[in-house]
Amino acid sequence: MKKWLSITLGIVTATGGFLDAGTIATSGESGARFGLGLIWACLIATVAIILLVEMMGRFSAISKKTYAEAIRENFGFKFYLLPLLSEVIAESILLAAEIGGIAIALSLMTGISWRILFPPAAFLVFAMAWRAPFDWIENAPALLGLVTLSFIVGIIALGGPSHQLLSTLWKPEVKQGELADYLYLVAATLGATISPYLLYFYSSGAREEHWTSNSLLLNRVTAIVGMSFGSLGSIALIFLGAMVLQPLNMQGSSLGELGLSMAKALGPFGALLFAVALFATCLGAALEVVLGVSYNIAQGFGWEWGEDKKPVEAARFNLVLIIFLLVAVAIGLMGIDPLQLALAGSTVIALFLPISLFPFLVLMNDPQYLRDKTNGRFSNIAIICILLIAFVVAFVSIPLEILSGGG
Amino acid sequence: MLRKRCAGPLLLVLLTVTGCQLTQSAFSRTVGNAGAVFSAASTTLSYAHEGKITSAYAQASFVNYQSELDGLDQQLPSQQGAPDKRTVQHLLDLYRPAIQAVIQPCLEESCHWQAQVAALNRASQAFLMAGG
Repeated sequence: MKKWLSITLGIVTATGGFLDAGTIATSGESGARFGLGLIWACLIATVAIILLVEMMGRFSAISKKTYAEAIRENFGFKFYLLPLLSEVIAESILLAAEIGGIAIALSLMTGISWRILFPPAAFLVFAMAWRAPFDWIENAPALLGLVTLSFIVGIIALGGPSHQLLSTLWKPEVKQGELADYLYLVAATLGATISPYLLYFYSSGAREEHWTSNSLLLNRVTAIVGMSFGSLGSIALIFLGAMVLQPLNMQGSSLGELGLSMAKALGPFGALLFAVALFATCLGAALEVVLGVSYNIAQGFGWEWGEDKKPVEAARFNLVLIIFLLVAVAIGLMGIDPLQLALAGSTVIALFLPISLFPFLVLMNDPQYLRDKTNGRFSNIAIICILLIAFVVAFVSIPLEILSGGG
Repeated sequence: MLRKRCAGPLLLVLLTVTGCQLTQSAFSRTVGNAGAVFSAASTTLSYAHEGKITSAYAQASFVNYQSELDGLDQQLPSQQGAPDKRTVQHLLDLYRPAIQAVIQPCLEESCHWQAQVAALNRASQAFLMAGG
């Protein structure tokens, strides 16, 4: 019974925790600008993240080590600094975007400017990351994030997509001069979904919850069912953008704009559901990002770490957490629109993706860590494909951002 | 196999031969984006008065629209790919009443919100057309 409860909770957590400011921004804008023509990118990203999450959970459950610890142990300290540096740069932009997303969600509920609400939003993230036990951090925003499933209700309430719109699934309408924007959104979609912070967080979470080889079923079900359900929210946002915003010539360039599609479907209650979904997903993601980076640094440097430990027992881990939050707050206080920050963060993540993922290919084939649970041929081919995609995306992401003017 | 190897260079050749542009001029991009924001502002204002969103939601959205459109009148004339002065002036004439509506949206029943929606729609259509 307890096992099935854990599995259900795992699925719920993955479903609610899938979306963040980056995926909301890219999905909404994709739908508004290119109809359903970017759903293929979302599907590829979902398959990739399912495979990576399953492998990451398996790795930590069997080896009893986190990803960061294993990178340092296997590749040495100098090599470890490479993915660490890329993580810190990309995730500080993304954390600012997530906090901004929380502030905008509160702003849509209250009417107060998001710039005023940014510091309280940052404090909320700090308070939860500082004091809340791991279970709360993992489950509370994710349960609230299930509101994202209301996006599917929105599509049904609008009567579903037209045949003409459905044809953009396999025949995207890319107008003259918009090819760079289209390709940029492909890169941002992949970068927003295949987020290394999620992998570091998942790997550390498996250790926080003391996973063993008995947890492999829970891990597999969480990865496959949870992530698939989670990506439904992202795909639903593309549909909503395509059905409501595109015919009105809107581009989905601000978060409030994206909620108008839910307002059209379900009235003020729909707009409120969008704001709650935005709040929950951004809060969950902000906690995962800030903890993911703090875990990474503490584990790599061999410091005490753990969300369930008192701050004094893991002082340096908690100090990193505070410093990282302050850096994100400083970026956020520059006044840059969180949605633009989220898109930029996703592009930077895409740029560094090969650095973060390459060690994975080696570690997943090491029997010293995984005994008889090393990757099979299919899993290795899958990682190589993901790495190839990551290389292509990394190569084109910055030129495309410049050409497209950042989406 | 041969088809796969040739896919990349073929795409480049196709782009060159067909003259398919990878990106728009700075002017087209800016006016196109502005047209989309004016359209969003018009929809937001209409939804607020139709009861589809709360005035708090509308107010928060307008703050973002304003920051997206800030300084557009200064940027437009000097942007790469800008058309003749008359066209730019026409856009600026439509920009002024529209940006006023974005800065001070009429969210009460007592004021003339339909006029603001009309100004936003006019600006949106003209900017989108200028953006191609």
